[in-house]
Amino acid sequence: MKISLDWLSEYFDADIPASQIIQALERIGLMVEGREEKEGDVILEIETYSNRPDTLGHLGMARELAAALGLSLKERRWPLSELSTRTADLVDVQIWDDNLCPRYCGALVKGVKVGPSPAWLRKRIESMGLNSINNVVDITNYVLFSTSQPIHAFDLGKVGGAKVIIRRAKKGERLLCLDGTDLTLAPDMLVIADETKPIALAGVIGGQESAVTETTTDVFIESATFDPVSVRKTRKAVGLQTDASYRFERGADIGFAPQAAVMAASLLTAFGGRVCEVPVDVCPLPLKKKGVVLRHRRITDLLGVEVDPDFIQRTFRALGFDIESKQPGIWQVRVPTWRVDIEREADLIEEAARFFGYDNIPAVVPPLQVVDPIPDKIRQTSRQIRPLLFHYGFNEVIDFSFSDAERESLWTTGLEPIEIRNPISIRTSLLRTTLLGGLVETAAWNRNRGLDAIQIFEIGKVYFREEQGFKERLSLGMLSTGMRDEPHWRTGRREADFYALKGTCEALLRQLRYEPFSFERADRPFFEPGSCLALALKEDKLGCLGRVAERIRAALDLKQPVWAAEIDLDLLFGKQPRPFAYQPVAKYPSIIRDVSLLVPRDVAYQDIRQAVEKLRLPILEDVRLIDRYSGESVPQDRISLLFRFVYRHLRKTLLAEEVERAEQQILSQLKRNFGVQLREGGQIDNRTGKN
Amino acid sequence: MKTLESRIGALKTKFDESLAGATDAGALEELRNEFLSRKRGRVTLLFEELKSLPPEEKRSFGRLVNELKAHVQKNLAVSLKGSIRIKSGAKGKLTVIEDDADRDQVDLTLPGETLPWGAPHPVMLFLEEIERIFETMGFSVAEGPEIETDYYNFEALNFPPHHPARDDWDTLYLGENLLLRTHTSPMQVRVMEKHKPPIRIIVPGKVYRREAIDPTHLPMFYQVEGLLVDEGVTFAHLKGTLDLFLKRLLGDKIGTRFRPSFFPFTEPSAEVDISCLICSGRDQACPVCGGTGWKELLGAGMINPQVLKNVNIDPERYSGWAFGLGIERAAMFCYQIADMRTFYENDLRFTRQFFLK
Ligand SMILES: [Zn+2]
Repeated sequence: MKISLDWLSEYFDADIPASQIIQALERIGLMVEGREEKEGDVILEIETYSNRPDTLGHLGMARELAAALGLSLKERRWPLSELSTRTADLVDVQIWDDNLCPRYCGALVKGVKVGPSPAWLRKRIESMGLNSINNVVDITNYVLFSTSQPIHAFDLGKVGGAKVIIRRAKKGERLLCLDGTDLTLAPDMLVIADETKPIALAGVIGGQESAVTETTTDVFIESATFDPVSVRKTRKAVGLQTDASYRFERGADIGFAPQAAVMAASLLTAFGGRVCEVPVDVCPLPLKKKGVVLRHRRITDLLGVEVDPDFIQRTFRALGFDIESKQPGIWQVRVPTWRVDIEREADLIEEAARFFGYDNIPAVVPPLQVVDPIPDKIRQTSRQIRPLLFHYGFNEVIDFSFSDAERESLWTTGLEPIEIRNPISIRTSLLRTTLLGGLVETAAWNRNRGLDAIQIFEIGKVYFREEQGFKERLSLGMLSTGMRDEPHWRTGRREADFYALKGTCEALLRQLRYEPFSFERADRPFFEPGSCLALALKEDKLGCLGRVAERIRAALDLKQPVWAAEIDLDLLFGKQPRPFAYQPVAKYPSIIRDVSLLVPRDVAYQDIRQAVEKLRLPILEDVRLIDRYSGESVPQDRISLLFRFVYRHLRKTLLAEEVERAEQQILSQLKRNFGVQLREGGQIDNRTGKN
Repeated sequence: MKTLESRIGALKTKFDESLAGATDAGALEELRNEFLSRKRGRVTLLFEELKSLPPEEKRSFGRLVNELKAHVQKNLAVSLKGSIRIKSGAKGKLTVIEDDADRDQVDLTLPGETLPWGAPHPVMLFLEEIERIFETMGFSVAEGPEIETDYYNFEALNFPPHHPARDDWDTLYLGENLLLRTHTSPMQVRVMEKHKPPIRIIVPGKVYRREAIDPTHLPMFYQVEGLLVDEGVTFAHLKGTLDLFLKRLLGDKIGTRFRPSFFPFTEPSAEVDISCLICSGRDQACPVCGGTGWKELLGAGMINPQVLKNVNIDPERYSGWAFGLGIERAAMFCYQIADMRTFYENDLRFTRQFFLK
């Protein structure tokens, strides 16, 4: 809201320095956001609040300032040069919908000479950033920016039948607005109509046909109160926001409507206008002043400081409230009509606090207290993952949750994306169904800036539409491309690859004890064929990992191979982790046997491992693949896998025969199932180092 | 005896050829076995052979065999990346040892090994600092849904339908009554519906606004909501807690200013500013405060009794306060980051810096 200090001074007898005004207003929460000097005037841009329409005019600001500084407002008089004709004899005002229009006041000014505004008026209008139009229009704006009550001027000569009817629009009725918009009206819109047609859209904008022009002589001033919700819905439906609708949708001062009409009429007498007797005031419902009880104890309880009761009484009186002490510490407060924000005691306490000054309320740290924790298991578990991923060299990124049709069709996740109804741009019109889209784009961004080692992850929501409605699920996305770290003389150049990423997935599940998990070959449209594994826990698929499809990389001009994985954390955390149990450290030594096996190339490692585990050998403590080799000494159709078997008995030292027997069991099982052979000289007993 | 010398030479050639063809650790291990195995290793067998030679020849050929052994050992070791070798220790453990041949000439000034270490996102790092501060004050941390209903995002928070106050929260709608939450405040209602006072909780999370992206606005950002409900909770407690929190987060020199504001769900409402440490209000062109000396950081207030009634908490018995803080904005102030978009570009050269803090 623009406030001209020159204009504001109309309400005060004494000159108040600008700095004092700004300081006082800011102390009560009316922050000065801009300041402009113009023709000896200072114009402030003041932040106002949607619950305080009364501050959308100079009068309202003056009231706040007066209360803050302990000054009183100057009484302003609006003398009329009156005709003996009664207004009601010349214009017939009828409210047909008193829910949407609780009060309609009107003044009729005859003999007005429409022309340019005098200098003082032009200055006022221009200080609000508007252009002066003519004396009548400028006066309506002057009243609006003075009092925050929007008023409208009709050329009575163009009001058919001199009837002013406040009613809902009829289906198909049209209105050519002042700004040139030709509107088709809907039946829920409130209009001002003459005997045949709408002449204004109530509280929003006037019609061109009934507008004041240079030939106008009889001006009918409208000063009314319209239902805020109705005005808001109408102005949204027609897409017009005006100074009037901005105020009406926040709530106009129903008590002030007649005065605003009189004020405008009085100002018009300077241009030859003579005002008809007894202005119109149609107010079908009785006006009630809201009454609220205020307890002193309650103020103390909520603010944490005792505020002097005299100060409270003084402040409310200065703000135009009636305040009476019913019994010690309890007041009956009556709210002025312009304070549409005050409904309850809490609203009054806020006023008391505002004028008491937040700076005068002490800062007290609340006493420490034992409070039951409110657990959030999903969050806690997802926080445990992050250090592990950092340890594996993955950097955390956060991407916007938005997506677009292009990205979604590139990825084809099979999930139906959720649309945003009012997106700010087409690029952000959907919500993402996968984290991988953003991760690959982030990888491309970093690659284009010369980074070689890109290991990134995001923990965030993905969103999709299901029959039962919209879903959001917590997901983990990981991506690895290029080097795994910077080249180093000791470690050489370690490149990102499938197994590095898989190892991170495995470590994560093991660390959180989500076991036993397994991987199966799978196909995803966004991964290269044959490069993808699905991750499963018991029967449920939790995610997948693989090599990002060529076409996706091509779309981002990312030339190097990219590996990525995505895991549904909501699904994962919904599972029961293996319970943790402490294992005593074994007292007896283990026997370690490295066994080199010739395995047909079509047999998967996971199958061999599961076959060994299936034997449930009690002395077999660990199985580990420690090398994999193919070459001259290995037949073409086979591969040599070097397994390390660790045997141990918890209650005694193992005998060589026991280990031998277990190993034979393993070997014959593998031979039977897969045709696996022992490699020549392939058994090494590491305890002695002898073949 | 020339034959023995040429056999040693041939073995050396064979070893060199095999070594050149070896591509992995397994092949090297095989090569080691072939030459150095204690039972059948080719070099081992040569030493066996030496035993039957006359003493003179034993010496001269012994030198050659020893040279061959050293050659094999050295090259096997060097071939393993980073000039280490893996040796099966007596206990069967894999041990990494310094190469014997290099021991005397090791350059100890060579740089030590580095482990690649991932870094958290700066927003999360900052959020964690905030969480830690509140956890020490007995607050729990929980999160809530990002897709919200109109009821939780607005109505239960005392935003009447069609009230212009809603315009201050530019909303992205997904359906008739579904939207992307515009603030973390809906969790005030969700938490109070489920839990009875005393309640101390903070709620971090993503929030969404219908805003075009520019250096100070994003359509998605992080907020943290704070909520305390108990008997006898006052505005003074709100001031005390936030003052303490901001000093712990940003440093003891930070001054705070509470000024009246309006939020439908709190009353009295406040906006909290922190003092500008860059210019202390002396620079009209200060990029942080614009010369006012203050930077707006968070919104707060006493919970509106109507909100308590909406969740069946008796406002005559209980009172509470809430606040909402924009994480990026706070982090921008803390680290002097000029452009909010930087957080979501995810340039690793930017994000990785912060964990050094
Ligand atoms: Zn500054």
